Amino acid sequence: MNTTTLNTIIQIIHYLFFSYAFLAIFSYVVLSIISAFETIDYFKKNSFVNYKKILSSNIAPSISIIAPAYNESLNIVENVRSLLSNHYANYDVIIVNDGSKDNSLELLIKAYDLVKINYLINPQLKTQPLRKGVFKSTNPAFEKLIVVDKENGGKADALNMGLNISNSKYVACIDVDCLLLEDALQKMVKPFLEVTDKKVVATGGVIRIANNSIIKEGKLMEVNLPNKLIERAQILEYLRSFLLGRMAWSRLNGLLVISGAFGMFHKKIAIEIGGYDTSTVGEDMEIIVRMRRHLEEQKVNYKVAYIPDPLCWTEAPDNYKTFVSQRNRWTRGTIEVLRKHRKLAFNPNYRNLGLLSYPYWLIFERLAPVVEVIGIIYFGILLALREVKWDYALAFFILAYLFTTLLSLGAIYSEELTYHQYKKKGTGFKLILISLLEPFVLHPFVLYAAVRGNLDYFFNKKKKWGEMTRKGMGNINK
Amino acid sequence: METFKILQNYFQQLPIELKFVWILSFILTVFAIIFTVYLKILRISLRKKEALTIKYQKEYEDLLLSFLFEEIENNELSNKQNQFIKKIENEINNNFKREIIVETLLKLKNEVSGEIETAIQDIYLKSNLKEHAYKQLKSKKWDKVANGIKEFTKFKVKEAYPEIKKLIKYPKKEVRKEVELYLVSLFHFEGLEFLNDLKISLSEWDQIELLEELQKLDNQEIPDITVWLNSKNDSVVSFSLKLAKIYNKYETVETLLKLLDHKNQKIRLQVIDVLTHLQVLDAKDILKNSFKKRSQEEKIAIFKMFENICELSDEDFIVENTTNSNFEIQYLAIKMLKEINEKAFNYLLKSQNKFKNKELLKFVQNN
Repeated sequence: MNTTTLNTIIQIIHYLFFSYAFLAIFSYVVLSIISAFETIDYFKKNSFVNYKKILSSNIAPSISIIAPAYNESLNIVENVRSLLSNHYANYDVIIVNDGSKDNSLELLIKAYDLVKINYLINPQLKTQPLRKGVFKSTNPAFEKLIVVDKENGGKADALNMGLNISNSKYVACIDVDCLLLEDALQKMVKPFLEVTDKKVVATGGVIRIANNSIIKEGKLMEVNLPNKLIERAQILEYLRSFLLGRMAWSRLNGLLVISGAFGMFHKKIAIEIGGYDTSTVGEDMEIIVRMRRHLEEQKVNYKVAYIPDPLCWTEAPDNYKTFVSQRNRWTRGTIEVLRKHRKLAFNPNYRNLGLLSYPYWLIFERLAPVVEVIGIIYFGILLALREVKWDYALAFFILAYLFTTLLSLGAIYSEELTYHQYKKKGTGFKLILISLLEPFVLHPFVLYAAVRGNLDYFFNKKKKWGEMTRKGMGNINK
Repeated sequence: METFKILQNYFQQLPIELKFVWILSFILTVFAIIFTVYLKILRISLRKKEALTIKYQKEYEDLLLSFLFEEIENNELSNKQNQFIKKIENEINNNFKREIIVETLLKLKNEVSGEIETAIQDIYLKSNLKEHAYKQLKSKKWDKVANGIKEFTKFKVKEAYPEIKKLIKYPKKEVRKEVELYLVSLFHFEGLEFLNDLKISLSEWDQIELLEELQKLDNQEIPDITVWLNSKNDSVVSFSLKLAKIYNKYETVETLLKLLDHKNQKIRLQVIDVLTHLQVLDAKDILKNSFKKRSQEEKIAIFKMFENICELSDEDFIVENTTNSNFEIQYLAIKMLKEINEKAFNYLLKSQNKFKNKELLKFVQNN
């Protein structure tokens, strides 16, 4: 190969990388602009909503909160109390103890005066069998609570059991370790009731990070910024994702994922499509993609809605080991879902889903770490060959860094103008500082986890969820 | 100066794409600095606004409370009321303060009743606040229009009716909803007349809000809802079915039975639910005869209806469905059979081999 050919190849590679980066930046800018419009619109409309009426209405539709629990003895009693204190007239709470090896069930039995009952389960979805059975409280104060003890089958299997048990029209699937605000159900059910020209099939909620915040008796008392950089950087990442990304996708009716930590579904449709897929670790994304695919095939005019209010608070990993394990799982989940539904890719029969949402996820979520790693390897080769044009490399590196920082500042700005959760003096400066540091303190680990996720997906099929060590919400401020 | 010149020379000899990248980087840097400074200013102003809101709220609340309670003791309200009105007249030109004044008046109005509530109402009517709300109705911004209507609803300003009625077909649904709430809150069941020629769909959320508003009222004469039950607008039919259920409108049974053949499945389901609630025995034969051609959801609803009113004469229909492929129907059929004819149920237990789901039989047997 002569020098001219080599130079041409190098040029082509450069333009490919440049085009990819340009498209990614362009998409982020467009999504941010759409998001700004959607946020303003949401706030204006929401200022005329009186949630008190739905709260007390006896004709409000029924909702079941389904919360799978696996070895959650540390704070299960507190968390269930928080779930039982939601401000909504017509709801129940189904805790599915998914074969826990700890004393979660015994703690619940003691705390809520539970007794075993005869409960006829409609086996619409296949699940692992019951272990000790179904429990209800003898105390009228906890009449909304149902606890199901079953053999271990994973989160998706536990959620399917909850769907079988529920008698409600809508189901809110949440992680039991999450803290729901009291008005969460009223707000999440609203899109199902207010949209008349489309069938709303699911609503996604925002997940916020509660590390270092003060929680008492299942209630969020004070929102604080955590101390560790890794936690702060995740807060920024969540703000970007929920306030800029998902808000825009909601406007485009192109949401492909509703966080497994908190989402609400039309139960009939969730069952109609076969419930959660137990063979993937990305069950939260998979059910939405399958639901959308099914509705597109049925030619139903539908919508997946999104509520930007901070209704659900969770504990984020506070160390890199747990963080990498979590992101590794997210990567594998994304790959599994996109591969399973590859029929959607660029398929005009699936309209927005096939031509916009799926391609976006494939190109800018699934392939982004792959492209980045290829870029790093390529840079290494150029270094070895002494072919690096440092003036170009430096200029593009600075541009990428500035753009990332600006996007983060945009997310902080959006948060301040809307929910202004981090009120304490000095937190503004800390948030700005972390937006400058995040590309160095978090991004490399996100990339590493994504690479591990890819490797595990292709070469370590046995790997499933991995462990998530929790301190417990009541303790995360300590 | 020397460094600047070096940079200038370096920049000039750069290829065009690199020049573009550096210019873009410079612009982004400027934006980042502006954003950072603005964020700081924004946070300070938000904190100040919060503090001011609390301060004004307290100030207006104290002022208003002292005026209102003095009136009861000394009967001198009108003078002081006028003074207070003058004070707020001066302040309401400031949007921020006006919003707090309205909020304070509303907050207190919701907490009290009788003379004090009327006095608060008077303050609103005699001050320029009312005129301000009228101005909002004429605004080109939908949120201001909606806000004006909302204020009139909260302060029960009936004389705004001619202006507000004109907005019933406003393009933005939030404004229409405020108009509907105004009509129902102030004119109660009479306010529902807008349903007569409603072309746009009334969402479930809107229906809940209207029904909650209506249910606050005591001793109201409930109008004839037949016209709405026969409406071409399905959402109006759905709303009137809810009225029929809540207010036990037995006189609508004939219309309800006709609605069992409505083209919309949701309506048919709702009708079955209302008939169940009203325990209309006449519906049984109609539903039994049309059972096979109905959708699965309707069939389940029919069985739920029969759960409360089944008799021995329904046995054949029930037995026929003890092997229904739908779990809920099968369960209800077996359960009802046990209730109306234990012998037949025991016979069923003996022939349980033909049942796939023996758990279900066992459950009914033990409960």
